Amino acid sequence: MARDSASNLTVRRRLLLVFILMCMLLGALLFRLGWIQFAMAEELQQKAWEQWNRSIPARSSRGNIYDRSDNLLAGSATAETVVAIPPQVEDPFFSARALAPVLEMSEERIHELITQDRAAVYVQRKVDEEVAKEVRLLNLPGITFTHETKRFYPNNNLLSQLLGFVGMDQGWGGLEIYYEDVLKGRDGNIVFPTDARGREIPGVRRFIPPKEGKDLYLTIDETIQFIVERELNRAMVEYSPERVMALAVNPQTGELLAASSKPDFNPNHYNQFDERFWRLFPVTDTFEPGSTFKLITLSAAVEENLYRQEEPYFCAGHVTVAGHTIRCWTSHKGGHGSIDFKEAVLSSCNPAFIVLGERLGPQRLFEYVRAFGFGSLTGIDYLGEGKGLVFKPEQVGPLELATSSFGQGISVTPLQQVMAVSAIANGGYLLRPHVVKEIRDPDGQVVSKSSREVIRQVISADTSRQVSLIMEGVIKEGSGVNAYIEGYRIAGKTGTAQKVGPEGNYIPGEYILSFIGFAPLEDPQILLYVAVDGAKRGPQWGSQVSAPLFRNIMKDVLSYLEIMPTELPDEEELHVVEVPDLKGLTVDEAGALLDTSGLLLKVIGSEGVIKDQAPKAKASVPLQTGIIVYLDDLWTDEDPEEVQMPNLIGLTMQETAEVLGRLGLKMEPSGSGIAVEQEPEPGIKVRKNSLIKVHFSSPQD
Amino acid sequence: MKKTSTENELRKPPDFAIFFTVLILVGFGLVMVFSASYILSLESRGDPFFFLRRQAFWVVLGLAGMIAASNIGYWKWRKLVLPMLVVNFILLGAVYIPGIGIEINEASRWIGVGGFSIQPAEFSKLALIIFSAAFLSRKNIRIENFWSSSFIPLAFTGGTFLLILAQPDLGTALALALIVGIMVFAAGIPWKQLISLLFVSTPLVLYLMISKEYRMRRIFSFLDPWSDPLDTGYHIIQSLYALGPGGLFGVGLGRSRQKLYYLPEPQNDFIFAIIGEELGFLGAATVILLFFILIWRGFKTSLTAPDSYGSLLAAGVTAMVAVQALINIGVVTGSIPITGINLPFISAGGSSLFFTMFGMGILMNISRYSR
Repeated sequence: MARDSASNLTVRRRLLLVFILMCMLLGALLFRLGWIQFAMAEELQQKAWEQWNRSIPARSSRGNIYDRSDNLLAGSATAETVVAIPPQVEDPFFSARALAPVLEMSEERIHELITQDRAAVYVQRKVDEEVAKEVRLLNLPGITFTHETKRFYPNNNLLSQLLGFVGMDQGWGGLEIYYEDVLKGRDGNIVFPTDARGREIPGVRRFIPPKEGKDLYLTIDETIQFIVERELNRAMVEYSPERVMALAVNPQTGELLAASSKPDFNPNHYNQFDERFWRLFPVTDTFEPGSTFKLITLSAAVEENLYRQEEPYFCAGHVTVAGHTIRCWTSHKGGHGSIDFKEAVLSSCNPAFIVLGERLGPQRLFEYVRAFGFGSLTGIDYLGEGKGLVFKPEQVGPLELATSSFGQGISVTPLQQVMAVSAIANGGYLLRPHVVKEIRDPDGQVVSKSSREVIRQVISADTSRQVSLIMEGVIKEGSGVNAYIEGYRIAGKTGTAQKVGPEGNYIPGEYILSFIGFAPLEDPQILLYVAVDGAKRGPQWGSQVSAPLFRNIMKDVLSYLEIMPTELPDEEELHVVEVPDLKGLTVDEAGALLDTSGLLLKVIGSEGVIKDQAPKAKASVPLQTGIIVYLDDLWTDEDPEEVQMPNLIGLTMQETAEVLGRLGLKMEPSGSGIAVEQEPEPGIKVRKNSLIKVHFSSPQD
Repeated sequence: MKKTSTENELRKPPDFAIFFTVLILVGFGLVMVFSASYILSLESRGDPFFFLRRQAFWVVLGLAGMIAASNIGYWKWRKLVLPMLVVNFILLGAVYIPGIGIEINEASRWIGVGGFSIQPAEFSKLALIIFSAAFLSRKNIRIENFWSSSFIPLAFTGGTFLLILAQPDLGTALALALIVGIMVFAAGIPWKQLISLLFVSTPLVLYLMISKEYRMRRIFSFLDPWSDPLDTGYHIIQSLYALGPGGLFGVGLGRSRQKLYYLPEPQNDFIFAIIGEELGFLGAATVILLFFILIWRGFKTSLTAPDSYGSLLAAGVTAMVAVQALINIGVVTGSIPITGINLPFISAGGSSLFFTMFGMGILMNISRYSR
C-alpha cells in the first residue's frame, strides 16, 4: 500500500502536468483563433471576397471617328461572342463536336475551352451573324452569347493608314492607337457571387457601368480624301510605281485635309494585307526631298537679301565644288548659258542654288533648314512620325553645303516639307499639323478642340509673298507648267530625287518624283504634296509624272471647295504649244526637252530611240496635251508584218485607239475609263491586223 | 477483492458534466454536419439529409454505447484485454481482405459490409488504451524497469502503429502513439527513460514525415500556404478564408460560403472552420470551451479514481479526446501541419464517433467510483 501511494503521487503529479499542458495548448489555439478572426480578418475577408466573386467585363463601346463634315469614317457595331459556362456544359464531347464545324475550330480546342475550371470562357469572339444564328440553333446547354463591339470602316480602304485599325481589344495603328484612351473609354463589369465551381449563387449582383468612349472629329475632308485616293489609284495603274503618296493640308491652320499612300490596306480585314502598307508613308518615311527643297534655300536667300531676280547669272552646265563636279540638268546641252537669277530659279538650275547656298553659308542655311522644321518632329497626332536627318552646321563642308542647297544629302518626311511650304504660303508661320479637330463625348458635348498652333515665324510676310510669286512662275513658265489649271493662280515646285539604296548610295534609274504646291495664290486654302516613288513606266521627270498628278487632284479639289477662277484666259500663247520634233531622241532627252513645255510624254515601247510621234512635230496643241512617242523596238527588222505588243495600261480609250491604229492592230474595247487589262500581254509578237482586247475601267473601283 | 462485494454500495451517480458536455458537442455536431453538408449532399446525392441521417444513426448508436459503458464496471474490460488485442490485429488485417476491406482514394482504412463500415483504427485506440491501463497498473509492475513495464504497451502500440501507418493513415497512427505516450508518462516512466525514448522516436517520426516527398510538402505548407495556393496550401488557405470572414459573430448559421466546394468535405476534418465562419469566434470559442470542460472533468475523474487502473484508463480516454481535438483545431487554424484527424463528436464520422462516445461512457463509469 505504501509503495502504491508513493507511485500514486507521481501519477497525480504527471496527470496534473499533462492537464496543464493541454490547457495551455487549448489556450494557445484560442488565441490563434482570435488572431485569425480579428487581426487577420480584414485581409482574409478581402482575399476570400475575391475568390467568391467573379466578374464579367461589360465592354465600353468605342468612340466613332468622323471627318470634318460629320461623315462616319470608323464606327462600332455590336457583334456576338460565343461564351461557354463550363459548369453548365452537360456533355462537353458532344458540344465540342457540334460546335467545331460551325465555328471552324478543332474539336479538341473547343473541348479544352469548355471544360476549363472557370466561370465563363470565350469560345470564339465577335462571330458573324450567321455563325451566331447557327450556334443558337444548336441550343447547347452552357453555351451562350455576350455582346461585344466590332470595329467597322464603312469606306474600306479610304484613309486606312491614317485611321489605323482595331485588334480584338485595342487600337493597333494610326489614330486608333494614338487616341486609344480617348476612343476606348473604360470597361465596366458585372460582379456576382459564385461557388467554387463558378456557378452563380443567389446574392447581390453589382454592376459597375462602363464609361463610353469619346468620338473623334477629324480635320480630314472625306471628299478631298476621295479625290486624292482616286487619282493615286490612277497613277498606280498609269506609272506602275512602287508606291505613290499625297498629303493635303490647309496651310493657314495646319489642318490635314487628306493623307494617303498606295498600296494601302482595308482596315476591316487588316490581317490580309502586308504590314508594310499599314503605315502612312508621307508621315512615317524619310527620303531626299530633291528640288522641292530649293524653296527653303530660296526663302532663306530672299529673307537675308541675298537674292535679286534681275541679277545676271551664267550657267555652264556644271560647277566644281571641293573637287566634285556637280551638274545642272541642262548639262547635256551645255547649261543654261547667260540668264538671270529669276530664270535660273524657275528652271531649277542646281549651280545657281549652290551660289545662293554659298552666300548664306552653312551656319545660316541650316538655321533656316531647322527653323522650317526639318530634323525635328512636326508634332502631328499620329504615332510613328519620321524625324529625318539634317546635317549639323559643324559637319557641313563645302560639298555638303552645295548639295544641301538643292535638296540632296538630307532626309525629310513629306509632312515636314508640307509644313515648311505652308510657312511660305501663309506669311511665314511654321504650324503644328493636326488631324483631330474636335473630341466629343457620347452626348455630343465638345470635350476638346484643336486650333491653329504656331511653332515659330520663320520668314517675313514679305519674303513669303516673294517666294510664292516665284513659285507661281514655276507653274506659269517653268517646270511646273503641267500642273497649270486654267483660271487659277497656283504656286508649285517639282522635285526629282534619286533614291538612296540600303548602302547609302544612289540607285541608278530609281527616282521619287514629287510635286508640292498651293492654291489659290491670293489666299492659299489648300496645299498639296504628291510623290510617285519608283515609277516603272513613262519618263522619270517630275514635270511629266507628278505635276499632272498634282493638277488632276488640285483641279477637282478647287471646284469642290467652290474656289472661283480669278484669271481670265487671255494669254493665248501660253495655252497653245508647238509640238517639238522628238524623233531620234531617247526618252530621257525627250523628257528634258519637254520639261517646261507643258506637254506630256506618253511612251509606247520599252527601249531605243523615238521612231515616231503623234501629234506630229510643229503641230499646235493645247497645253498639257499628251504626246505619244513610239520607240523603235516596237518593230522588228526581220518581219515587217509583225510588231511587238506595247503596254497599253493607263492609256485612255482615245490614246489606245491611236496607238493600235499606228501599229496596224485592231481594238476590241470593253468598259470605260483607262486601260487596265489587255490581251495579248506586252512584249508578245503579234501579226498586223490582229484583234487586241482591251478592258477599260475607272481605277477607283 | 472488495470491489466485487461492495461495488453497489460504492457506486455513485456518474459525472453528469461529462454526459451533458458530450451531449451538447454531439448535438452541435449534428447541426453543423447538416449545415455544412446539405448543399453538397443535395447536389451529389439528391438528398440534403444524407449526412445528417448517417450522423444521427451513429449518434444514437454512440449514445447507446456510452450509456451502456457508463453502467459496466470499468474493471471488467481488464479481463477482455487479450481478446481485444487479438481482435485489434485481426481487424487491422481485415482492411486488406477483398470483400470486407474498403479502399478509398488508395487508402485501406475501412472494413464493412453494405452501407455499414467502420475504421478499425478507431477500435485500436480504445483497445490499446484499455490494454495499457491494465498492464501499467499491474500489482507487481516496477515502472523503473523499462523492459518489463513501459516497453510492453509501447511495443504493442508500435505494432499497431505500423499497421495503421501502412493503410496509410499517419495522422491516426501518430495520435495513437501520443495517447499511449501520455499514458506511459502518467504511469510514471522515469524521466531518463522518457528522454531516451524521445531520442529514439523523434528521428523516426521525422523520417516518416519527410520520407515521402508529398508528405513533406504538405507538412511544411502550413508555414506559408500561399506559396502553393492551389495544391498543398489549398486546404489551409480555404480554412482561413472561412475563419477570417467569420469575425466575432459569424455570417450566420447555414450561410457559409466556403462550404460551397471551396473547402472540400466541409462536414469532415474542416468542420471547425465552418463553425468559425457561420458562428464566428463566439461559436468556435464555445467549442474550445466545451472541450476544455471535458478534459478538465476527465482529468478530475482520473485524479480521483479509486485505483491506478481506473486512473490510467480515465487519463487514456480523456487524452484520446484531447489529442484529437487539439490536433484538429491546430490544423484548421493553420497552426500545425495537416493531418487527417477529425474533430471528436462534431465531425461527420461513424465508428470514430461511436468509439469516442463509448470511451466517454467508460470515463463516466470510472467517475462513479471516485473518492
